[in-house]
Amino acid sequence: MTAADQGGTVHISDAAVSVELDTPGMTLNIGPQHPSTHGVLRLVARVDGERVSSLEPVIGYMHRGYEKLVEVRNYAQIITLINRIDWTAGYANEVPFVVAVERLTDIEAPERAQYIRVILTEMTRVSAHLLFLSSFPLELGASTPLMYAVRDREYVLELIEGVTGGRFHPNFNRVGGVKPVAGGGSTTKKQSQDLPAGFIAATNAMVERLRGTCITFDDLVSGNEVFLARTKGVGFITAEQVHQYGISGPNARASGVGFDVRKHENYLPYDKFDFVIPTETDGDCYARYAVRLAEIRESLNIIEQAVNDLPGGPLRSKVPRILKVPAGEIYVRGENPKGEMGYYIVSEGGRIPYRVKIRTASYSNLAVLPELMDGALMPDLVAILGSLDFVLGDVDR
Amino acid sequence: MSFAVLLTIKVLAVLGLMIGGALVVIFAELKIGAHMQNRMGPYFAGGRFGWAQPLADGLKFMQKEDLVPDGADERVYKLAPYVVLMGTVGVFVVLPLSPRFVARDLDLGAFYALAISSLTTLGVLMAGWSSNNKYSLIGGLRAAAQLIAYELPLVLAVVAVAIQAGTLSISGIIEAQAVPVFTIGELNVALPYILTGQIIGFAIFFIASIAELSRIPFDMPIAESELTMGFVTEYSSIRFTMFFLAEYAGMLSMSALATAFYLGGYQLPGLSSTAIEVLGPVIFISKVFLLSFVFIWLRWTLPRFREDQLQSLAWRWLIPAALLNIAITATFKVVF
Amino acid sequence: MTDSQSEAAVDGTDHNALADYAASVAEAVGASSWTADHGTVRLMVARSDWVSAVQAAASTGLRFFSFLSAIDWANEVEVGEGIAGDSVDERYEMLCRLSSTANADAVHIITSVSKDDASIDTLTGIFAGAAWHEREAAEMFGIDFVGNTNLKKLYLPDAFEGHPLRKNYPLLAREIKPWPGTVDVEDKPSTTNVEAEAGASE
Repeated sequence: MTAADQGGTVHISDAAVSVELDTPGMTLNIGPQHPSTHGVLRLVARVDGERVSSLEPVIGYMHRGYEKLVEVRNYAQIITLINRIDWTAGYANEVPFVVAVERLTDIEAPERAQYIRVILTEMTRVSAHLLFLSSFPLELGASTPLMYAVRDREYVLELIEGVTGGRFHPNFNRVGGVKPVAGGGSTTKKQSQDLPAGFIAATNAMVERLRGTCITFDDLVSGNEVFLARTKGVGFITAEQVHQYGISGPNARASGVGFDVRKHENYLPYDKFDFVIPTETDGDCYARYAVRLAEIRESLNIIEQAVNDLPGGPLRSKVPRILKVPAGEIYVRGENPKGEMGYYIVSEGGRIPYRVKIRTASYSNLAVLPELMDGALMPDLVAILGSLDFVLGDVDR
Repeated sequence: MSFAVLLTIKVLAVLGLMIGGALVVIFAELKIGAHMQNRMGPYFAGGRFGWAQPLADGLKFMQKEDLVPDGADERVYKLAPYVVLMGTVGVFVVLPLSPRFVARDLDLGAFYALAISSLTTLGVLMAGWSSNNKYSLIGGLRAAAQLIAYELPLVLAVVAVAIQAGTLSISGIIEAQAVPVFTIGELNVALPYILTGQIIGFAIFFIASIAELSRIPFDMPIAESELTMGFVTEYSSIRFTMFFLAEYAGMLSMSALATAFYLGGYQLPGLSSTAIEVLGPVIFISKVFLLSFVFIWLRWTLPRFREDQLQSLAWRWLIPAALLNIAITATFKVVF
Repeated sequence: MTDSQSEAAVDGTDHNALADYAASVAEAVGASSWTADHGTVRLMVARSDWVSAVQAAASTGLRFFSFLSAIDWANEVEVGEGIAGDSVDERYEMLCRLSSTANADAVHIITSVSKDDASIDTLTGIFAGAAWHEREAAEMFGIDFVGNTNLKKLYLPDAFEGHPLRKNYPLLAREIKPWPGTVDVEDKPSTTNVEAEAGASE
């Protein structure tokens, strides 16, 4: 706007400059009710057209105050409560807590119980990852993988239900072992106290079936050009960010940090099984998808081995009816589907803990989100959100 | 027959064809989509196969409250669905179902159809702007960007057809596809344009019409997981129904245009002209539903592109390819 | 000061190796004392050394920021009498866990913060991920993190008053309805462990 302001004639080359419009950005409030925020996450985004210039996650809509609630409950009651933290993996939430209490009280769970814990934890992982496989393509616009994944997830949930009586919140662990299985009556105590009849055969069938599902996903999703165009090179997480933010689980392993609690600690007897930790180095959305798909295959391997080597013996050690935990402090972590979940338990002695700090994976995984928004577009935001695979219950506790 | 009576009959025929066809396509989408996803789909409404589900849905939508959001530009907001629907109905006027069965056979039929079908995007932009909702606005602007990018390859693809046929009348283009290409013994064989040089043009036209219709993989203006429902986010009741109807009627009209331009319209190789007089509508509608099936098939199979990827596809691939297609067609036209 | 009474061999950890490891890290970070019970290494440092200790631990290879939290040792709570009551103490304990991503090494760095002057330096300069954890600790315990400019509420509503994880913050649901809080349900008639006895395999 030079010549025109002065009242002179506008040369055509000047005119081209003056049509540049000033477009101030706008603040876009995404959520707490939005199809791709997986629950009640709110994102306050500053957007310039389609480009996201800054992003601030607002959490807490799901905060239930577990760390306060556990201070007035005894250990058995807490197991019920913590099921609800990451509701896609209710069973896996229980395990680190129970192991921590067992270590504090010097009780060791029998080997059979430990194997059952491994089987159920891996089944939970398979079901949680299948949920990811259903929701992630959906966020990119493909609605059919959802149906296939949810259908096949049902085979896993049926087995979990058969053993524990619950599909999502089994509440199956006890200090010193596991609970007798669902539906145990007095007349058939010998059988009903253990795994349901036909469990091993049904599990082997499920493993075979879900291997087929993985192949289906390779065919339908992994090689799809549109899917690749949307996920490759989007939402980089560097190995440095993994350490800085404490990102764990498949998200970390997609960025080349091949850490897995199952390989490095012995909270469950994973050293008895032959499996690998899938790792990718790209750190983008596709790598996170690929790691989870590969993890399903590895989990199926573990389930197969554990079911077929299942040792005999009791389900539960002798535990006093009133469980008093000696004073002490302990941190035990487990590899949950979302990443490292741990409990820092402070016991003053007695039936209830003094303080429990719950370290959840999704919380740390989500905190990195604003850093991934550098120049991302609105559709990328959705892809990144989906690929981080968080659960709001796990974020907010 | 007086002009008024004839006009009434024609209007009713066009509306009936559009609404009836749209209901069938909606039902096909529900049922085919369901079976592709290992679901049953509707099976209660209407008694058998749930055939009445689209009707029931429509009645249900009409019972809802017709909301106008606070701060919306009310007149524009209320007008938008009519504009969208008008752009769709307009195309049906010039579609020839058989040599005689056509509401109005314009000399510039192809031009008219393409022009009036882009009116829907104006309605979408109006809806997005007037809703006073940021998601709607982004959806509307995406639709506008998509229009500019995809109207070009669409028109350029049709230009090649017009050159080959030597006319812009839709029935003229269909008749041009009845001209025998070669003879086997006694039999004169006429082939549709998709087999006589316009295969690239057909591909361009089809991709561009998916983008025009905002269907997966180009459904960014709606993009449920990003923009909740894009420009229709705030609409409810009868106005939502009109958008819904327009989407599926648009799918029919785009399939019909592709049928006329590339698949020989009501022609079928080897049929006599009297047979075509009788069977024309059946042949035409079968071809339209075949193409509609491909639309549905893609929708339930593919993820969604990103807006910038769509733009680069249009500008870097489709438009150059369409231009090249015109050059080749023109060369052949001049040489032979 | 290892607690030799505790045999942390339940988990199969070699207690001596862990103690050696704890001693070496304690020396590196300048910890005043340390424990290594139950496979959990705890290093006590002075509040003034908080940031430098975390930095030193990070430079020994523990680069993975796991979590940061606090413990309120002021035992004033009334509902919850089951807790041992003689540890009334006017202090918070800050707790930061760092671990390695190459092996199972991990430490908890712990320091005391008095209740009168509940403030401590921020760790956001070392670990960007500490920002959310510090916001959480700030709202839950009322601890001020000097240098963290964004300490607005993370979980709680903006108008929320009080610091819920402090021991003197009453859990209202329990005030109104005590059961099944600390008062456990009665013992069942049989005190033997039926489940364990009958839990023999098939």
